[in-house]
Amino acid sequence: MKKYRRPVQIVILLLVVILGGYAIGSAVLGSHDRLQVGDKAPSFSLLGIDGRVHHLKEYEGKAMVINFWGSWCKPCVKEMPALQQQAEKWKDKGVVVLGINAGEDEMTVQNFAEDRGVTFPILLDPNSDAVRDYNISPLPTTFFVSAKGNITSIHQGELDLNTLDSQIGQLVAP
Amino acid sequence: MISNTKCECGHQNRVGTVLCEACGKPLIELGEAGEVLEMRYDGAARRSQRANPNFIDQIWNFFSSVKVAIYLIILTLLGAMLGTVFPQVSTFINLQNPEEYYKKTYGTLGGIYYSLGLADTYNSWWFILLLVMIGSSLVICSLDRVLPLYKALSKQKIKKHMEFLTRQRVVYQGPILERAEEWIRRATPVLKKKGYRVHSEGAALLAEKQRFSRWGPYVIHIGLIIFLLAVLFRGLPGLHMDEYVSFPEGEAKRIPGTTFYLKNEQFTVNYYSEKELPKEFQNTGKMLPKLFQTKAVLYECTSSCEDPSKTPVLKEVARHDIEVNKPLDYKGLVAYQYDFDLTPKLRSVQPVLVNKVTGEEYGKFKLDMMNPKRSYTLGPYTLELKNKYMDFMLNDDGEPTSKSPNPNAPAFLFLVKGPDLPKEGAQFIYFPKQIDKARFQQDLINEKLGGIEKKLDLDVKAMSDVDFAKSTSFLNIRMDRAMPFVWTGLAIVMLGLVLGFYWTHRRIWLRIDDGQLTLGGHTTKNFFGLRREVVSILKPLGVEVDEKSLDNGRNQE
Amino acid sequence: MSTQDLLEISKQAFMYSFFLYCIAFIAFAVAVIGKSWRNRDPVRHERKWGRISFFISSVGLLGHLLYFGTRWAGAGRIPVSNMYEFMSFLSMMIMVAFTIVFLIYRKTLLGLFALPIAVIVMAYAAVFPAEVQPLIPSLKSIWLYIHVTLAATGESFFAVGFAAAFMYLLRTVNFDGKDKVDRRQKWWVEFTMFSIIMVIGFIVAVFAFRASGYQAVFTSQQITTDTAGQTTTKEDKVEYNLPPIVAPYNSKVESMQSFAGLDQPLLHAPSWVEGATAGRKLNTIVWSIVGGAIIYLLLRLLVRRPLGKLVSPLLKGLDPDDLDEISYRAIAIGFPIFTLGALVFAMIWAQQAWGRFWGWDPKEVWALISWLYYSAYLHLRLSRGFQGRKASWIAVLGFLVIMFTLVGVNLVIAGLHSYAGTN
Repeated sequence: MKKYRRPVQIVILLLVVILGGYAIGSAVLGSHDRLQVGDKAPSFSLLGIDGRVHHLKEYEGKAMVINFWGSWCKPCVKEMPALQQQAEKWKDKGVVVLGINAGEDEMTVQNFAEDRGVTFPILLDPNSDAVRDYNISPLPTTFFVSAKGNITSIHQGELDLNTLDSQIGQLVAP
Repeated sequence: MISNTKCECGHQNRVGTVLCEACGKPLIELGEAGEVLEMRYDGAARRSQRANPNFIDQIWNFFSSVKVAIYLIILTLLGAMLGTVFPQVSTFINLQNPEEYYKKTYGTLGGIYYSLGLADTYNSWWFILLLVMIGSSLVICSLDRVLPLYKALSKQKIKKHMEFLTRQRVVYQGPILERAEEWIRRATPVLKKKGYRVHSEGAALLAEKQRFSRWGPYVIHIGLIIFLLAVLFRGLPGLHMDEYVSFPEGEAKRIPGTTFYLKNEQFTVNYYSEKELPKEFQNTGKMLPKLFQTKAVLYECTSSCEDPSKTPVLKEVARHDIEVNKPLDYKGLVAYQYDFDLTPKLRSVQPVLVNKVTGEEYGKFKLDMMNPKRSYTLGPYTLELKNKYMDFMLNDDGEPTSKSPNPNAPAFLFLVKGPDLPKEGAQFIYFPKQIDKARFQQDLINEKLGGIEKKLDLDVKAMSDVDFAKSTSFLNIRMDRAMPFVWTGLAIVMLGLVLGFYWTHRRIWLRIDDGQLTLGGHTTKNFFGLRREVVSILKPLGVEVDEKSLDNGRNQE
Repeated sequence: MSTQDLLEISKQAFMYSFFLYCIAFIAFAVAVIGKSWRNRDPVRHERKWGRISFFISSVGLLGHLLYFGTRWAGAGRIPVSNMYEFMSFLSMMIMVAFTIVFLIYRKTLLGLFALPIAVIVMAYAAVFPAEVQPLIPSLKSIWLYIHVTLAATGESFFAVGFAAAFMYLLRTVNFDGKDKVDRRQKWWVEFTMFSIIMVIGFIVAVFAFRASGYQAVFTSQQITTDTAGQTTTKEDKVEYNLPPIVAPYNSKVESMQSFAGLDQPLLHAPSWVEGATAGRKLNTIVWSIVGGAIIYLLLRLLVRRPLGKLVSPLLKGLDPDDLDEISYRAIAIGFPIFTLGALVFAMIWAQQAWGRFWGWDPKEVWALISWLYYSAYLHLRLSRGFQGRKASWIAVLGFLVIMFTLVGVNLVIAGLHSYAGTN
């Protein structure tokens, strides 16, 4: 018994340090429910209005702008042309602009995209799965995701062309 | 520290031993000489007490100390108190700017409270650290004491040192007339009748009962450790889920992060009638809810689950009427009634196409609010759905738009083709809700669109052709794989509490030296009861004593 | 029997048992004080009167049980779901705990201390509306009943532990001592006395003004800022049944009877006293202190010496170690019950009702604080050898923690348990 005493002590103290560190660590670091800059962009697989299922995975290695919007939301509608313009501008530089519609049906979204001449991929989120995973509260919310898949910036509210341009610029800059 | 650990009886004790492990003679005086002995852990040395402690020993000793444990308990208690001064952030749902909120609502003090991190006391690093330290203390304190105590109790010598006996809290000394062995033999059945296990050795006797109650505190500590570990591992990914989901009546909806779907078949809310309410509430317009109930069906998706372009195949797995206090529980996935919304939500209508001139009807078709079919053929006419607006309004430019995604004022724009109509068709707007028809002047809009409102109309003939979700039930969906361990831990705590508090370890030592009987008695608690028992044991053996006189050296005035 | 009949019987039984407890208390006092009366044998006197008083208190307890049973039958559920029912139950359990401990130790004097606690708690219960209230869905759970009844049972043992510990202090504190320690002990004993009298002061004030039908009504504007940052103004009417020393924050008098020349509230509550009824709660607290102080001063004038000193000679014949032991024993009996009731079953209920077994709600936290407090007491006692005076002070303070958990949390901090709203 005596022989094992020291190892037992060390094992128990080590366990205390590990478990305690885990407990404190998860309480202090893991307590945020909201997505934050630096987090990995949560994955999704959603049906696009092009009839194809889009996964986050397929855009791996590309810088992304993910825009959550709804046709009833005025600022969303207003910023659409800017997004469209930027999508065209940065297309060749490997930047993907994605629009995720929050909960409307295919017809509404299709009509909207046609009317406004939106050509970048628009995805449908009828069950608010992505809206939930990305903790969206106000619309529009735009996430800038680096090529590595990390969120570099979160913008709530309407984006103007200049901010959008400079944000994407930063995203692409090495 | 005491260097001479060898007792006069010849037994070699370990460093820190208070009472000789063999004969019980006091080796270290904790109190004043001659006072009642301190019998904690039966005088055994705590494991951690050694002559030259090094770094690890020092940490170990720190957690091994009951004094430290008590300080930890008191600090945790005070910390927990601080957390109740103002409401914690966790009690607010969706607090956007907590710092400002605390300042505004609770003044400067609230601001300080927030900036000190007290608004989230129970998740703060220091509070968790205190709990971790209590956990460590539980393990180390128990380990250091239970083993020596176990050893001390399992190898007790029957004949104890005279001083050990006379310095117990229950002591009797008096002459006996018969031979020592004879008296001991007579005493044995009396003690056995009281439930004691009796060991005798010549002119000495040890009677003992309910030793197991000594393990009570350690059982409690084991239970608490299991509880704390279970709580800690609850948070591991995959073991825990906590989602709030709205379920409109009649729709199967996926529970996020799972392959389960839940359908709210019917939601009911009942209120107490005026008669059932106490007088003070009557006629005050106060509504006191009596029942919230969601008739729920749980489905599991069996195929096409992850592909949003396909319809998932569902299989019913459970059915339950969810009420507050009666959640649906399917293999650890639990759905609790949380909230509700009684705003009806239009789901579909089945209008009939009517020729206004002849009164002829061309049949019914189903128009869904979400994902409606794009074209309909009715008699000679075809209706092509061009656009739809869930919450109709005209924007500043006079264009129709929707002001929300909810079907509050739905409107559908059709392109109608058929006899008597222009070849390229004519536009027709349709408001399924009667109230909207008037509000937005359907006829007027249609007149401007092409004027077919004079020829054709869409009409809902019966209430049965309208499909509503009457209400929406909000359920809290939870999964907690660690719960069985939480309950196990608590059950063990309770077992330990009952063992330790409702039974007492009692021991009686007897020795007879030259016709002089010496009795010492010890119990973990309730000396009053032990004294009473000793009196009733001695009585049939011919020794009459007063209960009070057994009380050793205390408050004899 | 109809529901109404049952509830009527219940009401009557409550009254009778209350008066029986009062009589039993007097009888216990006769048993203890009468020992020193002339021409009688003190031992025989105490035995005889001890028996009489225990008999009366037992009959009172039977009446109390009758109240409980008939109300249970009449309401169709265990009556522990509002403050009136809970406090009545608590006082009943204090009497049960007293009866058990009395049967073990046969100390007549214990009655002299345990009965007043039961009487005060019972009178406190009567402050609240006694009507049977229908339950909102979350309160309809068997676990809730088990939780509340067991917690109250554990707490009542702590109350008996408190009574014995306080007796120990009265017995051992040297009231004639002049040195620093003695003076400090005396002061704290007196303070404990004052605290108890404060509760009596509150009850007396409530009943006195209720009998006179006093009423004052205030309208106060509640400005609330919701989480979205929008402010809404709401008008609330608050009815006072005690003359307003403190009016609600930001309020106007709607109607107010004059009391002792007072026809305007003396003060207004500061802004941090939040909520519609918070001003009234504060007023209640102020009244308790004022009422308590008046009664205390009258008593002091009457007996012309500290109350502790007045009472302590009664305890002369008692063995302090027995008192210490009784106090410890009561707490040791109560601790597992309290753990089971206030923590374990509370967790089971919370898990059933809200899906989380622990939510750091103030009431929960205070139950945990009480538990930690008594576990510290037990550790100090078992491992650090705290006995006698130190242990007694901890037990006395412990009861304060318990009372804060039961009453203070509702009065000062509101939480999920706010259904048990106080006056």
